Amino acid sequence: MSTFSSLNAATTALWSQRRALDVTGQNIANVNTEGYSRQRVDLQAIGGSVVPAFYSTSPGIGAGVSADDVTRIRDAFLEGRGHTEHANSARLLVEADTLEQVETAFREPGSTGVQSLLSEMWDGWEDVANQPDTDAARAQVIQRMETLVGGLQFSSASLESQWDQTRDNLEVLVKDVNAAAETVAELNKAIRVARQAGLPANDLSDKRDVLVMKLADQVGATVRPGQYGTLDVVVGGMSLVSGSNANKLAVAGPVDPDLITATDKPRIVTASGNYNVVAGGTAGGQLSTLNTIIPGYRAQLNGIAKGLADAVNAAHKTGFDRAGLPGGDVFGSSTTGPITADSIKVLLTDPALIAASSVGPTGGIAALDNGNADKIAQLRQDVTGTDATYRKMIVELGVQAAVAIRNQDIQAVISTQVDAARESVAGVNIDEEMTNMLSFQHAYSAAGRMVTAIDQTLDTLINRTGLVGR
Amino acid sequence: MRITQRAVALTSLQGLNRNLDAVGKLQEQLTSGRLINAPSDSPTGTNRAMQTRAEQSAVAQQGRNISDAKGWLEQADSSIREMLDTTRRVRDLTVQGLNTGAVSDASQQALAIEVASLRDGLLSLANTTVQGRPLFGGVTPGSKAYNADGTWAGLAGPPITRRLSESEKVRVDLTGPEAFGPAGSNLFDIVERISTNLTTDPVALATDLADLDTAIKRMSTSVADIGARASRVDRAEQLNFDRSMTLTAQLGETENIDLPNTIMKLQMQQVGYEAALAATAKAISPTLLDYLR
Repeated sequence: MSTFSSLNAATTALWSQRRALDVTGQNIANVNTEGYSRQRVDLQAIGGSVVPAFYSTSPGIGAGVSADDVTRIRDAFLEGRGHTEHANSARLLVEADTLEQVETAFREPGSTGVQSLLSEMWDGWEDVANQPDTDAARAQVIQRMETLVGGLQFSSASLESQWDQTRDNLEVLVKDVNAAAETVAELNKAIRVARQAGLPANDLSDKRDVLVMKLADQVGATVRPGQYGTLDVVVGGMSLVSGSNANKLAVAGPVDPDLITATDKPRIVTASGNYNVVAGGTAGGQLSTLNTIIPGYRAQLNGIAKGLADAVNAAHKTGFDRAGLPGGDVFGSSTTGPITADSIKVLLTDPALIAASSVGPTGGIAALDNGNADKIAQLRQDVTGTDATYRKMIVELGVQAAVAIRNQDIQAVISTQVDAARESVAGVNIDEEMTNMLSFQHAYSAAGRMVTAIDQTLDTLINRTGLVGR
Repeated sequence: MRITQRAVALTSLQGLNRNLDAVGKLQEQLTSGRLINAPSDSPTGTNRAMQTRAEQSAVAQQGRNISDAKGWLEQADSSIREMLDTTRRVRDLTVQGLNTGAVSDASQQALAIEVASLRDGLLSLANTTVQGRPLFGGVTPGSKAYNADGTWAGLAGPPITRRLSESEKVRVDLTGPEAFGPAGSNLFDIVERISTNLTTDPVALATDLADLDTAIKRMSTSVADIGARASRVDRAEQLNFDRSMTLTAQLGETENIDLPNTIMKLQMQQVGYEAALAATAKAISPTLLDYLR
């Protein structure tokens, strides 16, 4: 043991406590930084030599303390859980939002929805039944049918524009995901280089983990730890980031909801190879919006339009108009295709062509009967008719939306709890940092005092010894 | 367990948000006055509300049908009653004309002229229209029920009906032949015959008188029939009114908020929110720093 070894030990102590104080300072500075993981200095005692030599024996006290390593505290399992819950949360949020928007497309219950337009139209037919002789009542029912058709078309158009918007959002999202994947790959590379050089890359890792969490939100990404602190990102079994390489994703499938088929629907694929990627998160929610929710309601609405047209046309054809001629079609399609909520159209323009009478002409004179108008008006009561089908659809929508909103509420609680748990492990506790600060401060002072003490002992030895008799 | 300030802040924020969300929801209900703003607020309530609204619309229309039916029936009733009065006057005159010994030719002549003019009155009453349609014309698109020669100008067909409720229809018209007798021996033919026979063949008036009595009887029956239908319509009107009141109340119960209840709930929610705010303020603010010198 050399004369100055204690001084050296005290110096390492001063240096290490300073380092620990620095790290404490960094932790306090980042107490509110999103994604910051608290850091700890790993203090280690420097032991004496344990190898005996002939003329040199170690007293085994050691030579002070070292503080080389600054570690980042983070729980990989909680992070994994966080990725899953965030992805679920994002997916449910999109689905609940979609259903809420579908609800606004139908404006029910209220006096502006299709239900009240239907009622008004049936009332119009009863007015015709009351006054089959006046053109006013007949013209009114034609107007009301036009309004109803307008209402159906409005709902259908809102659904379609919602679909288009979601499709656009998905494109933007995938671009964003590609950019984020690129950055994750670059960060992976930087982290690997730093680790190989033996440098801490804690702040780079934090930055990368924030991006990975964003990817989990957007496409339901999960991670696999790689070498040298890198992370591989996987989406639905397909590798998105592998070490310092990023793959690109793309959106494939039709850009019009009418073009969706069983084999060709909007989906996410890998940009190279065109393999299907089963995405979760926001993208998963958007895909189910595009492929299930909106097409489902559009199909139901089309069925309602078709059912209405068929029922009224069939009833109308059994009657006779003002001229005593049999009635024709009331509703038709504005295109060459079948009748849908989009293409439904009122074919009748001449009030006299409304077949209100249930009996044909007698001796060339058209009867002024109201039987057929009444029959059409009574279609409102049909338990499998348009009104009932429409009501059923709205109730189903309500149930679906209520369930989605409730699920999303529950998932939000779970996600927040997992976030809080992650934060509990990785976050900065000010009380703790304060306590640490005090202990490092005290240790520093003590080490300083140690230097003074050794200085004084050496002073005694050097300056006050050998002075006997002087 | 290790707890950090941010974890506390995170969970507190979630709790506060949920409280505020509940307050917001109640406020939305209070300001819109409606319990159901979207189907997801209450799917079963939505179903009931939509059904009630559809029924309300149907009932309102039936109300209009009923007042229309009343118009027809009242018009028919008053027309036939007036015609009955006129016909009774014709009968009186016929009875006078039958007393051949006591009446001079000149007065027979006068009686004949009066009967002829009464016939014109009867014809014009029989051509009464409701909203442009001849009351006794059946389903004719024309404007007259009887021609000047007393023949029926109407068109036989299905009865003219009005819908009183989902299950009930009432007939609102009466065709000429039903009210005034079949072609060839209807009221106008009989009265014309009387007016001719008064001057030419007073003896035949006895048969005419019998025919006239049959016609009067037929018309009285018609009045009774119309009266029965009118009372059905009256009953339907009362029912319709009751139903519309019930439906309005029902819709209100389903769709509208219970004001005192909602205000109470809002108060409670606000108290909860304020408590959460106070608790959060207390939990977040202190750190060890407050106690270190």
